[in-house]
Amino acid sequence: MKRSGPFRLCLAAIAMVIPAALIFIVLFLAQYAWQAIFYNGVRFVGTINWSLGNLYANPVVSRGYHVPIGADYGILAFIVGTLFSSFLAILFALPVAVGTAIFLAEAVPARLRPGLSMLVELVAVVPSVVFGLWGIYVLAPLISHDIGPGITAILGFIPFFNINNSTGSGFGLLTASIVLALMITPIIATTLYDALLQVPRELRESAVALGATRFEVVTKTMLPTVRVTLIGGVVLGLGRALGETMAVLMVSGGALNYLPGTIFTPISTMASFILSQLDSALQDPTNMAVKSLAEIALVLFVITLAVNAAARVLVRGATFVRNL
Amino acid sequence: MRSDFKLRRSTLLRAGAAALLVTGLGAGVAQAANVTLVETGSTLLYPLFNIWVPHFEKAHPGIRVTTQGTGSGTGIAEAISGVVQVGASDAYMSDPQIKQNPDILNIPLAISAQAINYNLPGLNNRHLKLSGPVLAGIYDGKIGKWNALAIEKLNPGLKLPDHKIIPVHRTDGSGDTFIFSQYLSFSTPSWNSSVGYGTTVSWPAVPGGLGAEGNPGMVEALKQNPYSIAYIGVSFHQQVKQAKLGKAMLLNKAGKFVLPTAKTISAAADQLVGKTPKDERISLVFAPGADSYPIINYEYAIVNAKQHNAATAKAVKALLTWASTKGNAPHFLKQVEFKALPPAVSKLSAAQIAKIH
Repeated sequence: MKRSGPFRLCLAAIAMVIPAALIFIVLFLAQYAWQAIFYNGVRFVGTINWSLGNLYANPVVSRGYHVPIGADYGILAFIVGTLFSSFLAILFALPVAVGTAIFLAEAVPARLRPGLSMLVELVAVVPSVVFGLWGIYVLAPLISHDIGPGITAILGFIPFFNINNSTGSGFGLLTASIVLALMITPIIATTLYDALLQVPRELRESAVALGATRFEVVTKTMLPTVRVTLIGGVVLGLGRALGETMAVLMVSGGALNYLPGTIFTPISTMASFILSQLDSALQDPTNMAVKSLAEIALVLFVITLAVNAAARVLVRGATFVRNL
Repeated sequence: MRSDFKLRRSTLLRAGAAALLVTGLGAGVAQAANVTLVETGSTLLYPLFNIWVPHFEKAHPGIRVTTQGTGSGTGIAEAISGVVQVGASDAYMSDPQIKQNPDILNIPLAISAQAINYNLPGLNNRHLKLSGPVLAGIYDGKIGKWNALAIEKLNPGLKLPDHKIIPVHRTDGSGDTFIFSQYLSFSTPSWNSSVGYGTTVSWPAVPGGLGAEGNPGMVEALKQNPYSIAYIGVSFHQQVKQAKLGKAMLLNKAGKFVLPTAKTISAAADQLVGKTPKDERISLVFAPGADSYPIINYEYAIVNAKQHNAATAKAVKALLTWASTKGNAPHFLKQVEFKALPPAVSKLSAAQIAKIH
């Protein structure tokens, strides 16, 4: 067969665009944040105090760099807020998503399926700011007045679940996690649903022939076959949750300088913090504040990468177990 | 043959007319919009700019102005980088920033003030008396409850609830945070040394504290959270009134409690007009005088004195001159509760505007 050189070249060039863009973004971030990385050192990820310092006084030289007096960049609280809210979101989203996918693939008459699955997919395209608005006006008051006191009544003996240990404003970890869960549920549900439809008919039929109940067909033959896809869907959802900015900013309560003591306590996530601080950081004449924000972006990138890598290991493990 | 000629002539005529019309239209369009100015920045000034712009454009057919509310920090940064011609800011630029950008001018366009609002069930119709040190105590967590001794002392005879205080602060960079933290810094030495002032400050970790986005977010946070307190620009007085929130009397430098009114805001401005330097970068917070309301500020246009070309420079000058004179008419400012610049300050602004080229 004859190779068509120019065609291949074109394809290769187009295929390179996305990885190249990614590499350029990372290189830009690293180069831009360079001074901040050296100035902040490990304190950056190990302490919880964030202060731009006195932007109205003359900068001083500290650790070899010009910075505003009192500048202190510690992002541990934002890392904790990001991871907590994202994993809680997965915890909420997973059962709902799996249930939805199974329902769509198994329990719904075939002619209703396209319509219903489209509805689920529609939730995935709702702009995050809309979820944020809903969070402010519906969810936060609901958590403050009903859900929060309810959880406290049952689990209140554990300080972490007691709303009275926070202001109980409704803005905080739980609200942010629920909003995130809503955003990622359709992502997980649709990936899983598509995979469930691909499960070979023979597999199901043989399970039924062996006398399996419907429940057993789903849990013992179908779900194990789509395990890898499920993990993939969760990783996609987690990626979205870790990086979500606007919706979280609107409902998280914007915590600064402390770690969440309860699930009702305000938090800040890394992405939302970059957005909320950028305006002030721009006023720093030394630029160290903006560079430190770029460093947050870099750390967020590394965390997302680590989560992806971990998921790959999981997928490999799952495939391995299945092949045993 | 004759009809043929006729046809040709009429076609020619029509074509000619069309060509004329097109050139005419083109010239008209070019004249109607030969300069477009972009304004961005302070969300407090944004509503006023939106009221101003249609009137300004009507009076200056050659100039178009687009407005954006993005935050004071962005306003300053984009005016410096040249992305926009006019940056709007509630805060003046710092000395180090001016040193780096000596061509940037800070030109006051109006005077604004800030109210301390709260949501205290049953007491929102009463004006609570508060002072800088007490507010500093609330915002750094030393005063945790509404019936704390320090608050009761200022409000004898008032039955204050035994409930945790929810202090609300802005999470975005904000001129409101700037003047509020200045009031705390200027009135309370311990706040000044531990937190200081700025468009964002490192808020002490008050476990009950709450962050909100923008002035609308502050109003919303107060509305939804009984026993909360927040600082809100006076241009949001309508929303505050609708939400039936309380408004505090603040202790001024002379030791008197005052509400933000036309009289007290003007009184405070009058105290500092004489002290306003030529570059007009000065804080109006915590002014002396028995009638002075303690939290007021100049609303600034941040402008590069060196514009790209003469036409743009002329348009910027026209806009700022119009805004600080005709735009200061009461029927404009009343809508956002701003106050006009005193004549002496208008003069200083005019001198700065004249530097734009």
